[in-house]
Amino acid sequence: MSGEVLDLSRQPPPPFLDAEICVVGSGPAGATAAWELALAGHDVLLLEEGPDRTGRLLTQRDAEMYGQLYADRGARATADGTVSVMQGRALGGGSVINMCDVVALEDDVLLHWSRADGLSGFSPREVAPLRELARADLSANRPDEAQLNRNNRLLRAGAGALGWRGEVMEHNRGGCAGVGACLLGCPLDAKRNARFVAIPGALEAGARVAVRVRVERIDGGSSDVKTLRCVRLDAEGRSAIAPFSLRARTVVLAASAIGSAALLLRSGLGNAHVGRHLMLQPQLPVTARFDDDVRFFRGIPQTFAVTEFEQRAHPQHGWWGFRIEAVGGTPGIVGSLLPVRGPEGRALMAEYPRLASCLVLFPDEPTGSVSVRADGRLAIDYPVGAELVARLREGAKAAARAWLAAGAREVLVPSPRPCRVTRESELECIDALDFAPATVPLISAHQQGTVRFAASEASGGAAPDGRVYGTRDIYVLDSSGFPSSAGSHLMTPIITVSRLLARALA
Amino acid sequence: MTASPSRFGLSRRGALKALFAAGGAAALGAGGLSALRGTAPEVAGLLVLSAHGYRTMNALAGACFPELQAGGPLQGRLDLARDFDRFLATEPAAAQDEARHALTALEYGPVLFERRAVTFSRLAPADALAHFDGWAASGSALRRQVASGLARFLAMLFYDCPAVWPGIGYEGPLVPGAGGAP
Repeated sequence: MSGEVLDLSRQPPPPFLDAEICVVGSGPAGATAAWELALAGHDVLLLEEGPDRTGRLLTQRDAEMYGQLYADRGARATADGTVSVMQGRALGGGSVINMCDVVALEDDVLLHWSRADGLSGFSPREVAPLRELARADLSANRPDEAQLNRNNRLLRAGAGALGWRGEVMEHNRGGCAGVGACLLGCPLDAKRNARFVAIPGALEAGARVAVRVRVERIDGGSSDVKTLRCVRLDAEGRSAIAPFSLRARTVVLAASAIGSAALLLRSGLGNAHVGRHLMLQPQLPVTARFDDDVRFFRGIPQTFAVTEFEQRAHPQHGWWGFRIEAVGGTPGIVGSLLPVRGPEGRALMAEYPRLASCLVLFPDEPTGSVSVRADGRLAIDYPVGAELVARLREGAKAAARAWLAAGAREVLVPSPRPCRVTRESELECIDALDFAPATVPLISAHQQGTVRFAASEASGGAAPDGRVYGTRDIYVLDSSGFPSSAGSHLMTPIITVSRLLARALA
Repeated sequence: MTASPSRFGLSRRGALKALFAAGGAAALGAGGLSALRGTAPEVAGLLVLSAHGYRTMNALAGACFPELQAGGPLQGRLDLARDFDRFLATEPAAAQDEARHALTALEYGPVLFERRAVTFSRLAPADALAHFDGWAASGSALRRQVASGLARFLAMLFYDCPAVWPGIGYEGPLVPGAGGAP
């Protein structure tokens, strides 16, 4: 099995799959951990529920790719249907389906974790070299002017006209040809992501990697040797083929803030904090119509961000405020987020080439939760409180202003009775939005906090070194440990923290 | 079993609450409701939905996307109701039940919430759309959730269809997939 990815949908697990260290989840956290631990000479097995999809297996078709590459086929949502919880489920995890944004784990966040959350071991001095390693892993580079598509240029022009600060984000692209379907995986393999950096690194260092396997439960969480109850999944990842078990002395959970917490809960492991303190960092889509072609579905979808309203060091919350980023999308996801149907909806989608769009990102309080129902199904609860509603309105208005300043004919904020803005005086319709459950479609691409690092088990689910309280040698090394938002885009912070903790574990 | 609760989110208890909330069912009774709904044509090959559920979903698809209506340019080329049935076939049993209840509630919606003497799939498309839009803007979080879930599913599949792309100015994927060009 060494040196290759084993697909358990095609063959049964080999005998002696037991490992010294089993890593659950192959996104940036798990892949980096597996790589580091294998380099340190450990016997590492990395397990992934999703498929290995590269190159032309990434068809850029919405229905097929959301079905293949996303948790719950892209239909995962909070219990009240308000927030779509978008998570990658593939070898490489969320880095297969993200927008390639490289945003570092900043000193302000680390200092907040130290001051507000009492965490040790995350000082800027300790983290700085690993931050640079993460950027090197990702081949971080800033798109040049020619690579900004018209959607991003318009947002930049609008922000500029209003005197607002912004930036062109670094990316982890290499050989990008502007296919524009980043959310569905890159058919040119142009993302320098976990699939193409950390996974090969782990394999070369001797780690074993298996896909299409779901870990359903961990037994013996306080014992020297843990038993992982697993199932092989079929080629589509929808049905279980056969159960099997393997044993490991150490288990590293890197299955996302949703998956890692759910696995601990199903296993009856951890303390009362497991599953709590969920942050979804909701995103609000705001769309604009222009008279000329924008073609936001071509080129790099997301390069420019309006940073005017970000607060890097809020004394209570750390990273706070909101941030506006251009975004593009394929017809299926765009059509599914538009607020109108029937002839009016068709008329709007007929203007698809002339639509522009952005997402407004909001850091949030850790008020959500993950739980497992009696029937075994996952539940994600997330209250949208008054403070967040106020910021959602301010963010929507700011995005609308930016588009209008860029020359948009009309701005749409999705709601059951769509909020259409053609001039400043019409922004008041946004103030009338109450963001009640299942009215305005919010999106979460960044989940954090459900097994949060804390100096004592009275305050969190894991120690600062990632060890899950109440267990022996079970660790979380992913964003489930983050006590407050690590920033606007998590791939780089996740790699940084995973490497920090994996090296300490090694 | 790891799937999240279906975004259709209508437990049996919730379906009953939605169905009888307006009080109309008390007068009509179950037999009256069933008579209004009538008999749905048999549909071969359904995996989860009943013929009634398929008819409701088909009516919703036609209301949302006029091209799918009888005589429309895409009639017969896209069967979104069957796609929904196939999607449900690999969902947990609880999610399948939720979806069935959601469609039943939608079918009886015009009777119970608007006091009409006709069920959803028997409305003219414009009336069906208006009724469905009412669900999306309803004061009931349950009805909004059902509307949101169904609408997004249908839109995702509809706009992923190559036959739709010329009408929206989309050329399709730039890189041919492993299965050949779309």
